[in-house]
Amino acid sequence: MGKHTMSLKLKRRAFLQIATAASLAAPFVRPAAAAGDTATIGWPNDVPSWDPNQRFTPDAQPIFKAVYDQPLDQDPQLKLIPHLIKNWTLAPDATSMAVELRDDVTFHNGDKMTTEDFRYTFLERIRSGVKLDTANSWKRVDDIVIESPSKATMKFSAPDPTAPQWMAFLGSYIVPKKYIESGGLDNFLKKPVGTGPYRLAEYELNSRIVLERDDSYWGPKAKVARVTIEIIKDPSARVAAIQSGQADFTLNVPVREVQRFQSEGGFAAELNPITRVILLQVRADLNFADQNVRLAAHHAIDKAALSKAFYGGAAVPLSVVATPGSPGYLPDFSFKYDPELARQLLAKSGHGPSNPVKIGLAATNGQFPSDYDMARAIVQMWQKVGIAADLQIIEYAKYFELNRASKLPEATLYSWDNATGDPEIFSGYLLNPKMPFSAWKDEAVGGKVLKLFNVANYDARIAGYRDVERFAVEQGATIPLLQSVLTVVRKKNLQYTKYGNGWVLPQTLQWS
Amino acid sequence: MAGSLAHALRSPRVLLALAMVLGLGVCAIFAGFIAPHDPGEQNLLSILTPPAWAPDGDPSFLLGTDSLGRDVLSRLIYGARTAMLVAVFASFGAMIIGTILAHIAGYFGGAVDWIIGRLVDVWMSFPPVILSLILMVGLGVGLDRVILAIVLVDWTRFCRVLRSEVLIVRRHDYVAAARLLGFSHWQTIVREILPATLPLLITLFSLEMAIAVVVEAILSFVGLGVGPNQAAWGQMIADARQYVYQSPWNLLLPIFAIFFAVAAFNLLGDGLRRTLDVRLAQAER
Amino acid sequence: MLVIVAKLVARRLLAAVPILLVVSALLFCVLRLLPVDPAAMSLPTTATIAEIEAKRREMGLDRPLPEQYLIWLSDALHGNFGRSIQFGREAGSLVAATLPATIQLAGAAMVLAAIFGLGGGLLLFHLRGTWFEAVTDIVSILLLSIPEFLWGLILLFVFGVALHALPFTGAVSPNLPQPHVTGFLLIDALLVGRLDVFASAFRHLILPALALGLAFSPAIMRVLRSSLFDVYHEDYIQQARLRGLSERQILLGHALKNAALPTLTLAGVQFGILFSGTLLVEVIYSYPGMGNLMVDAVRNADLPLIEAIGLTYCVAVLLINTVVDSLYVVLNPKLRVR
Repeated sequence: MGKHTMSLKLKRRAFLQIATAASLAAPFVRPAAAAGDTATIGWPNDVPSWDPNQRFTPDAQPIFKAVYDQPLDQDPQLKLIPHLIKNWTLAPDATSMAVELRDDVTFHNGDKMTTEDFRYTFLERIRSGVKLDTANSWKRVDDIVIESPSKATMKFSAPDPTAPQWMAFLGSYIVPKKYIESGGLDNFLKKPVGTGPYRLAEYELNSRIVLERDDSYWGPKAKVARVTIEIIKDPSARVAAIQSGQADFTLNVPVREVQRFQSEGGFAAELNPITRVILLQVRADLNFADQNVRLAAHHAIDKAALSKAFYGGAAVPLSVVATPGSPGYLPDFSFKYDPELARQLLAKSGHGPSNPVKIGLAATNGQFPSDYDMARAIVQMWQKVGIAADLQIIEYAKYFELNRASKLPEATLYSWDNATGDPEIFSGYLLNPKMPFSAWKDEAVGGKVLKLFNVANYDARIAGYRDVERFAVEQGATIPLLQSVLTVVRKKNLQYTKYGNGWVLPQTLQWS
Repeated sequence: MAGSLAHALRSPRVLLALAMVLGLGVCAIFAGFIAPHDPGEQNLLSILTPPAWAPDGDPSFLLGTDSLGRDVLSRLIYGARTAMLVAVFASFGAMIIGTILAHIAGYFGGAVDWIIGRLVDVWMSFPPVILSLILMVGLGVGLDRVILAIVLVDWTRFCRVLRSEVLIVRRHDYVAAARLLGFSHWQTIVREILPATLPLLITLFSLEMAIAVVVEAILSFVGLGVGPNQAAWGQMIADARQYVYQSPWNLLLPIFAIFFAVAAFNLLGDGLRRTLDVRLAQAER
Repeated sequence: MLVIVAKLVARRLLAAVPILLVVSALLFCVLRLLPVDPAAMSLPTTATIAEIEAKRREMGLDRPLPEQYLIWLSDALHGNFGRSIQFGREAGSLVAATLPATIQLAGAAMVLAAIFGLGGGLLLFHLRGTWFEAVTDIVSILLLSIPEFLWGLILLFVFGVALHALPFTGAVSPNLPQPHVTGFLLIDALLVGRLDVFASAFRHLILPALALGLAFSPAIMRVLRSSLFDVYHEDYIQQARLRGLSERQILLGHALKNAALPTLTLAGVQFGILFSGTLLVEVIYSYPGMGNLMVDAVRNADLPLIEAIGLTYCVAVLLINTVVDSLYVVLNPKLRVR
């Protein structure tokens, strides 16, 4: 390291320290907001960074949606609805999409939001070499032609039939071009500026996020003026926080706690099925290279018992990676629980309880309700048929790293998010060998998926996915378990809007 | 030595402690016979049942079940096995390394003593909890790794205390006499010095067992212990914390088990210290 | 006098430097042996193999281990421990942000441990010779058998879960602001004039501090008692009796002063251990200090952060020991003459 960079580094450090001190000292000048105008949420995870385009972290999306806006939005039933984009037209061959943006939107620093920012977010930033996860979702964008401050056309290098869905999905938030380019990325990360219903008033890493209502917001204004999001990673600590009144709202607490809260006055406790699938993400190699072993692993799992034991029976057992009611769901197909068949399959490959096949199983602990318990239950179910699984606990953040580096073990217990409900984002991403999300790298299933990515016709695409889903399960390329359940505990008089995908949006909170 | 041990066995404190240790030892060795269930056997249909005497209790699970429907009593018993294995082997390993280095340092003195002394200094400047955590990151989870980590952290406890004892013993006349009689250094250490430091050694060993039990519980509690497939008290506590409102038993029982084991070894150590007339700073915990 | 003390402290600190160097080298080596790639982990999920290689070179991971250590050391001496892999922020700044909370907790716990230790020690001594003695003796050993980690859980259960009497998560109620002036929450609350914040922070501190204080007081208790025993065998106690001083005057005026010395040494050693004992208590009470950060870092194999925190703990313990050593000399007239 040269002398020059060293001194620069030191200068920047000094600057950052001053900046932090200034920004954090500011809020205490203001008088506290009136009671009833504030709410505190106990939230399981911090945002990975304040750059909303940077990382696809499903659990951070509701927080991003408070500070930033997406081009398109979803209503509580997950239908696509206009948001920053007033209207859009996808060309029949899906190689271009014309959009018209609202002209009454400003960023929190007062700058007007225009198609310049749109082009910057979905093209210029990605090309500039900044490492963004959105580079994956928008890699087919060849150009964005600006026709006016509110009109633009996206040109794709290959058909992109799900472009509108992606405008409302992970990471697609419009960021301020002028602010980032003039102030630098570090400044943006320290003092993020979006167009959302709240501005970020206070942020303490891994501890709390304080949102303050933006009174000049272009859309319906938030009801609660000041929302504090308290980062509480430990599920039992979240329970304690709501129990003691330190938090008004919390989520992802153990299901049994929900049942307990239901019998206590003053609280509303809910188990909401959402568009997430709890599944085992599997590899096509290692000891899972043998299809018999994979299928045996699937047949050995008693999903109904898992649901009953850990979700009070509220989580629907699944046979395909799609939730009931979503376009890709197959109501007629079922993959049966049959430990005897599992034993026979293993015997074909020369394994049995006395000579078990050894595999690895990764799981998180406390990321979604009962994850660790469920993983241990699965280990035991496998043990009975002759699969010896070595269970390792990984952190949520580490899951993404391991997956990208192809270092996940044979199976990983994960809650697969698909806020849109579209099958592409279930099986398409799960099984596409070219995607970093996919643990499954194989051509038989992968080839079918890759073809579907180019099908522009909606009905043909959905029909194709329904085929793939069934095929993938029969090949043992994926092991769906249950429809995920969001647990919510809140004070009875704090209302919120329930979204089918489990979003808890601060802007929908309201005291009654 | 034999006489003083016999003396120790007449102390009620030592006897009480020995009875407690014996109880733990029986649980550990005969866990397979005593435990009513397999400690890993899950029963997803009866999760978090209260103890058998409570209104909703199930007589087949005497102390109730945990969040996976595993029998708490059986897990406590097998947890004792884990704790005792760690306590015995880790303390033994730490004792051997610590004792050898202490005797070398105390007997030869000079540069060897200085080097070993500095080594101990460096080690002691690492807080034990921090060092064992860092070691576990490097070693990975597992029973053998926990034992190794404790040995690597705690040998200094033996080394530091024993070294000063050796220094005192070697000034005695009979040690010089042994040398004059033509004993080699090795023979002198083994035949003359070691027996003299034995009472202290036994006392330290007993206290170290208490420490090892706590460290194992701590490591299992933060998820860096013996691993998920082995019943361990620390792991039981970590699991039970999630359900403390519905099943306080699950939290309180392993807490009591740890307390019982630690108290047994501390009482034994304290009793031995008194009866064997060992000079020992009270700071050794 | 002051000069002597200053010289002494300086000499002890100087002696600690080589220890610290060896400690840091050890820490560095242990963590470099881990099967994780710091380069790959510090890049986003879309990074290519070539980019990871470039990062490896940039981080100096392709050089021999001793050279890597020297690079790391020179950076560390400039306060730069590298960026935390999971938070993307300077590891040093993360430590700086959480250290005050830990110091505050350790300080409060030490005060409690001293109060309980002193009170308990005097009580034990007062009961000497009565039939109570054997009971208190056993009780004190039993108390010695409850480490801070168990006290933490027991107190959490009794006062938090069962009685709903005290808060047991975090450092302050979520609905209150956290002022930042010095980093010490209790002080900062007063500085910005928020008594409600102070009260809340104080209530949040009670259980964790109590857990640590209770765990470390029995040792102090027992040493104070046995030191008092030793002192009472000295001649000047007899002389004081002959001069007609009351037992209370003898105890508080003479004996306690002389028994303080060994007790203080022990308390110093205890404070070093207590400081690292904050780790588990912080985890149990989700207290936002360095210990919680450490467990987070360990679980995520966040090497730069583990190194930074590990070293900070070592520095803290060495500093505490140095101060206690110096205090010992200051208070001990026999050593001062030399």
